[in-house]
Amino acid sequence: MAKPIHDSKSEIPPGTLYMLILKTLEAGPRHGYGIAQRIHQLSEDVLQVEEGSLYPALQRMLIKGWVVAEWKTSETNRRARFYRLTPAGRKQLGAEVSEFDRVMQAIVRVLETA
Amino acid sequence: MTAGKRGDGMAWLGELGRRLRFFGRSEEFHRELDEEMRTHLELKTRTHLQEGLAPDEARYAARREFGNPLLLREQSRDFWVHRWVEQFAADLRFGLRMLVVNPGFASVAVLTLALGIGVNSVIFSVISTMLLRKPPVHDPDRLMMLFSRNLGAGDVASRSPVSPPDFLDWRAEATSFSAITASSSFEDDAHVTLSGGSEPERVPGGEVSANYFEVLGVSPLLGRAFLPGEDRAGHDRVMVLRADLWKRSFGGDPRVLGRTVKVNGEAYTVIGVMPDTLRQLWMFPEQLWIPLTFTPAQLSAAGRAQRSLSVFGRLKPGASEVQARSELGTIARRIAATHPQSSKDWGANVLTLQEYAIQESSAGPALAFLMAAVGFVLLIACANLANLLLARNANRHREFAIRAALGAGRLRVVRQLLSECLLLALLGGGLGLLFATWGLHLLGRLFNWNEWSILIAEQLSIDGNVLLFTLAVSLVTAFVFGLAPAFQLSRRDPNSALKEGSRSTTAGREHHRLQNLLVAGQLALSLVLLVGAGLFVNNFIEEMRSKPGMNPHHVLTATISLTGKFYQDPAHQLAFFQGVLHRLADSPEVDSAAVTSDLPYTFPGRAHFLIEGRPASRRDSRDWRESFAGYFAVSPGYFHTTQTPLRAGREFTPADDASSNPVVIVNEAFARKFFSNGALGGYISLSPEGGPATAAELPNSQQASWRRIVGVVGDVNEYVGQTTWRPHVFVPFLQASDGSMDLVVRVRTDPAAFASSLRQAVWGVDKDQPVTNIRTMDRVLHDSGQGDDVMADLMGAFAVIALVMAAVGIYGLIGYLVGRRTHELGVRMALGARRREVLLLVLRGSTPMIVAGVGVGFLISLALPRLINASFQGWVSIHSGWILAGTPVAVLLVALASCYFPARRASEVEPTVALRCD
Repeated sequence: MAKPIHDSKSEIPPGTLYMLILKTLEAGPRHGYGIAQRIHQLSEDVLQVEEGSLYPALQRMLIKGWVVAEWKTSETNRRARFYRLTPAGRKQLGAEVSEFDRVMQAIVRVLETA
Repeated sequence: MTAGKRGDGMAWLGELGRRLRFFGRSEEFHRELDEEMRTHLELKTRTHLQEGLAPDEARYAARREFGNPLLLREQSRDFWVHRWVEQFAADLRFGLRMLVVNPGFASVAVLTLALGIGVNSVIFSVISTMLLRKPPVHDPDRLMMLFSRNLGAGDVASRSPVSPPDFLDWRAEATSFSAITASSSFEDDAHVTLSGGSEPERVPGGEVSANYFEVLGVSPLLGRAFLPGEDRAGHDRVMVLRADLWKRSFGGDPRVLGRTVKVNGEAYTVIGVMPDTLRQLWMFPEQLWIPLTFTPAQLSAAGRAQRSLSVFGRLKPGASEVQARSELGTIARRIAATHPQSSKDWGANVLTLQEYAIQESSAGPALAFLMAAVGFVLLIACANLANLLLARNANRHREFAIRAALGAGRLRVVRQLLSECLLLALLGGGLGLLFATWGLHLLGRLFNWNEWSILIAEQLSIDGNVLLFTLAVSLVTAFVFGLAPAFQLSRRDPNSALKEGSRSTTAGREHHRLQNLLVAGQLALSLVLLVGAGLFVNNFIEEMRSKPGMNPHHVLTATISLTGKFYQDPAHQLAFFQGVLHRLADSPEVDSAAVTSDLPYTFPGRAHFLIEGRPASRRDSRDWRESFAGYFAVSPGYFHTTQTPLRAGREFTPADDASSNPVVIVNEAFARKFFSNGALGGYISLSPEGGPATAAELPNSQQASWRRIVGVVGDVNEYVGQTTWRPHVFVPFLQASDGSMDLVVRVRTDPAAFASSLRQAVWGVDKDQPVTNIRTMDRVLHDSGQGDDVMADLMGAFAVIALVMAAVGIYGLIGYLVGRRTHELGVRMALGARRREVLLLVLRGSTPMIVAGVGVGFLISLALPRLINASFQGWVSIHSGWILAGTPVAVLLVALASCYFPARRASEVEPTVALRCD
């Protein structure tokens, strides 16, 4: 299952999609469209996610047990699948964020000193 | 940033569970995912509309930002299942649908495979039962059998029993074993007479060391095993029963513990019952055990040469078989050095129980031939299947061309075809197992020629080995018959295949070549099989036809082994047998009756003989080894009863007793070989041995008591199919009494019906003596064939199956090829070809493959007589030339007939009909 989720057209750093999804779910359950919207909003439209690629990612997260899905009626009164973070997902988010920080700091160090 | 590598250890388990759950609901998965994506697109579109885009533009923008839903769906699903797993499942589903759509093809294919796999499973069950099953002891791989090994002699002598002093030395010195134990089967085919049960009975029994069951690792069902010290004289009057004997003779009564039972006339107390799983053909035949004790004579220096014990040792943890063997070899060399008179040229040998069973079984060649035969049957079945598939695939060319055009890779197509084959093979294997169960049942009834074969029959079953074997064979089969057709189909260029009309007259020249090759192979295989079967059947018929030298019809036989102290007195033995003979003679149904130490057609005991006036040959010289003859002690009237012709001199009379001059009667083979100018009046002396003695163990000096030859009788075989007559000597039983004799009774009525009268006659003299082995003389002859009839039956059956399969295969292929050419043939006939010419045209097309197949088969079968001769003792192959020459002709005829009928049908089609057909 180690295929890249999105191809080179993606404009978010590779491998960070999971982290972004997990982060947006931290505040509460959302459906797929909601997750995409939230990422746009919070990044002030800087991060362009190929929106469809959310879905394969969500499937993988379901397999891993980081999220669980549930069909519910949305605020606009339509049926939608809501994803909720599990404790394992919360742990995973922590791990990914600290890993990301470590890498970012290293990159920043390289940029500042080189 | 590879997420998920960390995480707790059990996470994969939950993951596996979620994945598995996916399998049940993959359709639901797709529906939900589609709905989810649709919703997303709609919401997105609505957002764009709100931003002021035109409806079309809004939809287009949403799609562009979303990406390709189909691809995303595929990606999502790929996370859940490996692609090939799902494809395989889909292939199987599709294959099943194809089979359901075409039930004719499916049933022919599955039946053919079931037959081919079934016969393999049957024969493999026999192999598994006889050779592969783990012996019924604890941790069988660590339990070894220890043997003496006669370094100067052949293979059999490498598994000689062990003498008591050697056993005790080994036990004291060997460090590779945690424990060593011995057992000794009772004399006279290891049977003891048991009285105290419901009826006097002779059962296989043995004497064992006190630690025997402990070393084997078998615990009693009831009571206890022997205690240390119970194998010392004075403490040894205890016995253990096996559960089957316990149930049979004591009704399975638990109060049997503490009961006193007589074994060979001595009283023993029952202390335990062992499970009846403790049985194995060569190692554990005993149904009861008593402690093994040694007499001072057995432990003396001379006793070291009396090798009679089976010895078992359990390897210490860490010790290996090789280590044990070399250690025991060292000990044996030491013994040989210190006791040269008894142990010179004797070493030691260590084998696992399974190695021993395999070496001891003489069934190897027979099983090898049978396995080859069923292998051939399966190959023929595979060839049929392959041809069926090739024919069917020809009609599916378009289907596969379309698949290829739509982007299915070549491997993908091969995989789909192989999945179908796998499905067929598994169905065939399943049905084959059913067939095998039924076949084993039949086979079990044929296994009845001696007690070993009956024991095998009792144990024949489909065990784990057989299940695995069948599964493996099914899988391999699927590849064998499926691979060639699959590749053939996938190799074709989809472009031309799509264009190719079904009217093509020369379609697939190449795969017809393959089909022809398959048919030729089938013919070759079935020809070889038929020749082999013919040789076995011929052997059996010749055996049955060979002149028995006596008249076996209307004769009933039985064995009586007198036991108990009373009958150790020869006078009492004689009185007993004479009493029985008198009672039998009084019966109106009896024509005549006699006793003999050995029946005809059973291997007799042997005696070493000296001829008066000729120098005694040196021990172990060639002449010395030739001076042995089959030895029979018989009552007066024996030759009359068996109707063995008297060639010269006289029969024994009641006057030839211990008080009169010693006399002997010899057979013609003896007279011919040792007395070129008349044996009558010559003198010989005899020193008989209990059983077929090995030359090494006979005493060197003989007390010469000269017997005068008073008669010469006709030759009688020792086993059916024996090719040369062996010399035999007969002495009057009044001069050489024995406690164990066979009764021979010629009756005027049905001999089998006389059995109960025979028993009553014996019990009228002594009601405690068991009568065993009651058989008609015809049966004795049959049993002496050692299953040659079964071999002939099986080989014959397999050969017939093979030929029928091959014939069906040819018939089907020609029918199919002709069918494909209907249009062409129609054109020919419309242009003036005559029916006969069309018929010949079709026949001529298939002649090369038939001739090639039969030719190759013939060449291979030329090697068979020699191969069989080398593998089986006492082989009679009188007509092998005829079989070698005739069988190919027969196969040729069957093959031509299989071509002829479809060809004729083709030639009879009206041209107008044929032309319209496509």
